[in-house]
Amino acid sequence: MSGALQSSLASLHDVELCSYAAAGERRAFGELVRRHGSGVRGLLRRMGAQAAEADDTAQDAFLAAFERIAEFRGEGTFAGWVKKIAARQYLRRIQRDKRATAIAAEGVDDEADGSAGDADHRIDLDEALKGLSPAERLCVSMCYGAGLSHGEAAEALNLPLGTVKSHVKRGLEKLRARLAPVSEAKTGGAVLEGRRGNG
Amino acid sequence: MAELDFERRLERLFGQAPDLGDAQAFAERVERRLDRGWTARRWLIGAAGLAGGLIFASQLLMSNIFERVQSAEQSAKVLGQGLSRVTPTTDMVSALSGGYGVWIAVGLAVVTMGFAVSRVIEEI
Repeated sequence: MSGALQSSLASLHDVELCSYAAAGERRAFGELVRRHGSGVRGLLRRMGAQAAEADDTAQDAFLAAFERIAEFRGEGTFAGWVKKIAARQYLRRIQRDKRATAIAAEGVDDEADGSAGDADHRIDLDEALKGLSPAERLCVSMCYGAGLSHGEAAEALNLPLGTVKSHVKRGLEKLRARLAPVSEAKTGGAVLEGRRGNG
Repeated sequence: MAELDFERRLERLFGQAPDLGDAQAFAERVERRLDRGWTARRWLIGAAGLAGGLIFASQLLMSNIFERVQSAEQSAKVLGQGLSRVTPTTDMVSALSGGYGVWIAVGLAVVTMGFAVSRVIEEI
């Protein structure tokens, strides 16, 4: 890669950077990491990972993405593609540590019902997610953050589809109550079924 | 409709990357790990090539290649003489049969090595 092209990496589109990376150009991939690193780390934190664990998993995900960059055809966004890889890596990690079972087992209890109180003022997503049980948080983040369908999430989590749908539904209800503007919260929102229910 | 709007809003919120102060440091860590992986791979390929070269060289020596080259040269001379009777002016054949063949092969090998070394330097 010429020096001029190297200096203009920042101006290139993600798809162009991917094609350079597929040709073995690591600096082009570094630019992609610079652009999307925070998004991937943020998603992992929202899924429930601690900061250090999120960083480790995100690093592994980016390395895996570089190895498989030729598979990325530009059909979706690069960020979405890497987020899916990262979400699956995080799940493998918690499954390896036997934490997945514990997370899946609980979460049916509404120990953190955040529907009241916080509705008087809008809070950000990270704060709102703290009101969800770990299982709800994981399922909602996988479906709405990593872009997995309910079926894909159920497969990745090794949970029945109905359980995942239930976690997502409960999670959405809580988030809606927490994130909704004051007027909507007062009138009460419709029960969310989730539009990802196509399995 | 309200559900769809909320879900879209949620996706947008998830799509917003948090402002992490160490984003640049994180990218550099990933790049370092990528470089380490490539360096290790290069060393591995280099070591495999060296081992292969050594095995090849030892096999050459053990198979008395030089004696065979000499006998091949003798054969080439005989062949060249035979050919010169058929076609009197074949400079190339006589050059090969006069021992130049080995030198041409060595020259080609040096050129190939030069090409390989330049590729490795370019990669580094």
